[in-house]
Amino acid sequence: MTIRVILADDHPLTRAGLRDYIEKEKDLELVGEASDGLEAWELIVREKPDVALLDIRMPGENGVSLARKIKDSKLPVIPVMLTSFDAQQYVVASLRAGARGYILKTVTPDELSRAIRIVARGGLYLDGEVARSIEDEDLAFEALSAREREVLLYAARGLSSKEIAADLIISERTVQTHLASIYDKLGARNKTEAMLLALKYGVVALEELIE
Amino acid sequence: MRRHLLILLTVAIMIPSFAALFVGGLGLVQHEKTMERVARSYVEDLAGSVASRLEMGWSWSGSFPLNDRERYWRLRQITWGLSIPGWIAVVDVHGNILLSTAGAEVLPMFWDRGIPVGSAIEITSSEGERFTLAAYQAGETGWYVVAAVSWDKLLGPMLRFNRWPMLVGVIGLLGLISVLALWKWLVSPLRMLGNEVSTLQWGREMPVADDPSAVFEIRRLRQVLHHLAKCAVERADLMKRYVGDLVRVQEEERSRLAREIHDGPLQDVTALIHQIRLATMEGSSRSEGGRLENAEDGARHAVQEMRALCDELSPPWLDLGLGQALDELVERLSRHLRADISVDVNYGEELPQEVTLAYFRVVQEAVHNSVRHGQASRVSVRLFGENGHAVLEVEDDGNGFDPPVDYEELRVRGHRGLSNMSERMSLIGGKLEVHRQPRGGTMVRCVWSPTSASV
Repeated sequence: MTIRVILADDHPLTRAGLRDYIEKEKDLELVGEASDGLEAWELIVREKPDVALLDIRMPGENGVSLARKIKDSKLPVIPVMLTSFDAQQYVVASLRAGARGYILKTVTPDELSRAIRIVARGGLYLDGEVARSIEDEDLAFEALSAREREVLLYAARGLSSKEIAADLIISERTVQTHLASIYDKLGARNKTEAMLLALKYGVVALEELIE
Repeated sequence: MRRHLLILLTVAIMIPSFAALFVGGLGLVQHEKTMERVARSYVEDLAGSVASRLEMGWSWSGSFPLNDRERYWRLRQITWGLSIPGWIAVVDVHGNILLSTAGAEVLPMFWDRGIPVGSAIEITSSEGERFTLAAYQAGETGWYVVAAVSWDKLLGPMLRFNRWPMLVGVIGLLGLISVLALWKWLVSPLRMLGNEVSTLQWGREMPVADDPSAVFEIRRLRQVLHHLAKCAVERADLMKRYVGDLVRVQEEERSRLAREIHDGPLQDVTALIHQIRLATMEGSSRSEGGRLENAEDGARHAVQEMRALCDELSPPWLDLGLGQALDELVERLSRHLRADISVDVNYGEELPQEVTLAYFRVVQEAVHNSVRHGQASRVSVRLFGENGHAVLEVEDDGNGFDPPVDYEELRVRGHRGLSNMSERMSLIGGKLEVHRQPRGGTMVRCVWSPTSASV
């Protein structure tokens, strides 16, 4: 069964390269291309592809808001961000908007096809450049305790240490100790990375993080 | 000792005024005393001379005893047609008036009180009338001569209409009134103006434009000062707008450049990478493959550099809001500066774009300063609400830093960081303070409230 894909990017040269990447794969079918946000939306509504590769910055409408529109109108389309922005906060924003994947445009052809297959199966794919992975080490991280998992979920929702402390009725210091331990276990350098890695490793589900 | 012109002026008028009042009062008292003395000697003289006449008449007629009728006529002769200021009366030992001029009817009222003979006294009748009165014995006749003047009827008007002490007193009073007027219209408005101007924040505040209670010259002076202060305020505003424009243009230019790089070269090189990879995959000789690999590495490096350049110029993730932008910034700074930087955002309200940008730039600058100049290893960035203000605090554990009194001076000495931060805050109508922490380290604190005036 082939996976139907559309590609939305305002830059023709980039589009050409990515088109060739996709067309090389037998199980992927590129059913349309769009050069701006409005065109992309028409294409999504008309073709209802399995996966929509969306650039974040596009004329007309940006990729994040397109992803949110797809989520809100409950179309059977999986949005994946394909972008030059390597900021983790964009990853967070995209995931909140309903994207299931985040890929940088410098992606290799193999990674791209793998990402598309993973999200089409219902998985989540985050580019290694925005959330460093320790995949090759076979998910060799120490499991989070129940409390740590809880703290991470609260932190991922954007609550400050003070608010988490108040909600869980523990001291702010304890929250920080938990966070430090979480970073250590996941190999993360900060809150956002911890959240992305936890998602990537399946420690927490996307639905738990995004309400 | 400082000599105040206005106080000197007041005192200079007050001294002669009080002196005039004093002299006037003294004159009145002296005059009254003199009048008393005059009245005494007058009544003494009068009583004495009448008494001696009676005595003389008595001794002359003593050898020819007179009957009562003759005696009466003799007495009448003495007082006949006598016109004097006051009255005289001749009484016997029992106080019966034998003879008197007009006005002596009041005499029996005093008689019982015992009047000393031979010297004048002051006496007040039961009706409150004041008299100077003297009684003399008329030789061996057994009669007494009493002479008196009434102060109310005779001397009173003389006292009351003595003009000079009155006039001097009035002058004194006028002097005091003019001191009051001087104080109200000149001294007090001038002092008020002085105080107002000395505490005025030049370029920010203006003195009150008019003071209706002041004299014309001071009102004029006030108007001129008001005008000057207004010019200063306008100039400061102009300067602020000018600097604001500069900052805005700079930011616009930076974000335009970042956009251009992102949409142009960055995309082109990304496309180049795709092409190189496709070429590699389509099969090539070993030497070609090596070259293509090098080209891909070079292109990837260029992409990373251009991304970094975009982020430095104007990070696109600023659009995500201050909380997320600060998260991203701090994550990047801790990686770049190798320091432990934490961020805690506890502010729910959405901030306007220029405030987001200002806070973002302040954090960028402050964290750099902490690590580079203060050698801090931990920096904590906090954003929270406090009494309706959005407060940003950047606190470090570095060497500490004595906050400057004048940011402009720092700028002159080439340290632009702090003055830039403070300028950015003042442009959005906020405030920036730098404190040295008691246990070492520095705290930069920014306060902005949604109600403060924004450019």
